[in-house]
Amino acid sequence: MTPEAAALPPRGLARVLGWRRLRVVLIPCLILSLLFLPGWKASWALLFGRLVFVGLVQLSVFGLFETWPRRLPRWMARWVLQVASVAIVVPFAVAIVYTLTTQDDPVPWVKNMDRMTGFAMLCCFGLLLSPWIAMSALYRHISGVAQRQALAFELERSEFERDALESRLRLLQAQVEPHFLFNTLANVRELVDSGSPQASSVLGSLIAYLRAAVPRLHEPGTTLSQEIDLVRAYLEVMHMRMPDRLQFSLKVDDAALQILCPPMTLLTLVENAVRHGIDPSEEGGRIEVRVAVREGRCRIGVLDTGVGLHQETPGLGTGLATLRERLQLAFGDDVMVNVSAIEPRGVCAKLEFPARWNRP
Amino acid sequence: MTDRRPTALIADDEPLLRKALTRLLAEAWPALEVIAQARNGREALTLFETLKPDICFLDVHMPGLSGVEAAREIGRRAHLVFVTAHSEYAVQAFEQGALDYLVKPVEAKRLSDTVSRLQERLSAAQPAPNIDNLLDQLSERLQKKKVPEPLRWIRASVGQALRLISVDDIDFLRSDEKYTLIAWRGDQGKPGEALIRTPLKELLAQLDDKQFAQVHRSVVVNLHSISHVIRSGNETADIHLKGRDDVLPVSRSYLHLFRQM
Repeated sequence: MTPEAAALPPRGLARVLGWRRLRVVLIPCLILSLLFLPGWKASWALLFGRLVFVGLVQLSVFGLFETWPRRLPRWMARWVLQVASVAIVVPFAVAIVYTLTTQDDPVPWVKNMDRMTGFAMLCCFGLLLSPWIAMSALYRHISGVAQRQALAFELERSEFERDALESRLRLLQAQVEPHFLFNTLANVRELVDSGSPQASSVLGSLIAYLRAAVPRLHEPGTTLSQEIDLVRAYLEVMHMRMPDRLQFSLKVDDAALQILCPPMTLLTLVENAVRHGIDPSEEGGRIEVRVAVREGRCRIGVLDTGVGLHQETPGLGTGLATLRERLQLAFGDDVMVNVSAIEPRGVCAKLEFPARWNRP
Repeated sequence: MTDRRPTALIADDEPLLRKALTRLLAEAWPALEVIAQARNGREALTLFETLKPDICFLDVHMPGLSGVEAAREIGRRAHLVFVTAHSEYAVQAFEQGALDYLVKPVEAKRLSDTVSRLQERLSAAQPAPNIDNLLDQLSERLQKKKVPEPLRWIRASVGQALRLISVDDIDFLRSDEKYTLIAWRGDQGKPGEALIRTPLKELLAQLDDKQFAQVHRSVVVNLHSISHVIRSGNETADIHLKGRDDVLPVSRSYLHLFRQM
């Protein structure tokens, strides 16, 4: 069976009278015919034939009401219509089949006691059994649909996971940019060569940054306190490189320190502020990082007084978009990422997400 | 040939690196006099015009005017050496020696090679080579970083403020006479509107065509925001959106997008 064949459900008559459905009719008919046979006056073939006729009529009616009419009134569920119709049609179908198969009778079958007994029996069993058979068929159909839904969700989820993995890999690649690294090392070497007392502490900051900048793929999250340390290390390094163009301040609620967040959450915003806000500006500016907790939500703000949003910013989009994806992976849709220009110049990036604490 | 000492200008946005290069040059070429230090391209140009150094060491990546742009302005009036943090910006022509570059952190050995070349050129009174071509290539290299990805964020005016709006939050875009209206989901999914000057056509070209479709001459809709589409009699349809009262018209030429499968 080719994939295409499996994908398309049968249409029209093939669907209504497909082999699967015929089976559902034929087997109970067979069983019933064998059950009735002992006391039956007519031949087995005739009995079976009658049963099958009724079954086929029911099957057709079931299939008909499956798609017709297209729109049902609100109060009528389609399955009710199908099950009810399967039951209602029984006496009519049995009457018809009797009429058709007793053409040669001298007496009309309605006046014949044996025939009427047969009619009554077929009707009874038909009315009793068919609704159940119809309902179980419907149930199987619905659970089949549910299974396909579940598979679709599974597929979506694994695609989501694959996207998450790709996000992580991209993050890994994006870290430790050579431009940043070599520029910083050049600065550090100068400090060392000129015997500056700053050299050691700057190296310390660089080491702290590098160690944290390569994300530990096994750890899905870090605490804000680790993020703050990372951001502080980064800002200290950048301040060393451009002391005349970068001032910064960090204000963090004590209560927020143990909040969990995806790695690099803060750093992404701060790097953006430096790269796209401060660095392109001749006079530079100031970066303020604020972290607070309020009403169970963590609020992060990174403000810079750099060039603002008016420049072309290739690369700004990717970092932010990835951050948003990672936050959504971690917290669902209940996250807010908002970047807007501020007066007189600069950008404020705000994040908000549910506060989850690290419980040791 | 003058007896005066050769002069140089150093431009780098990082003060420690200006200091580093000055120190290294002092060791590699004691006769060279560093007469100016610039913090950015604009300062480099101003100082160049005032002081007319023989050689300019230009950091490629500087705020405002970059090293490349400053080099273009200076042209052949000085010998130029580019300084860059990594050789991504290096072009083949650099390696052929037509134009010199140094990689940061500057190695003494590499610097002394550059110094020898400069000394040769100066003593032979060779004019600086025409590097416009190379500068073009370098600019192109620098700009190649702008990969044409589909647009992810739009800068738009929301009331008095300027904000970045993620394209995923946009429900639809409608062009007005002078502006394009962006209907988007703000904080907590509240519907809002923003305006930008970019014409709809331009935006459409940059948006991901798997997510956004033009449905009318002046309307582009985010396919994920569509709740349902109701077809009207005369070859048109109306799009109803999730969570919004707006109804968007679908014109005849775009009706084919909403035919049943």
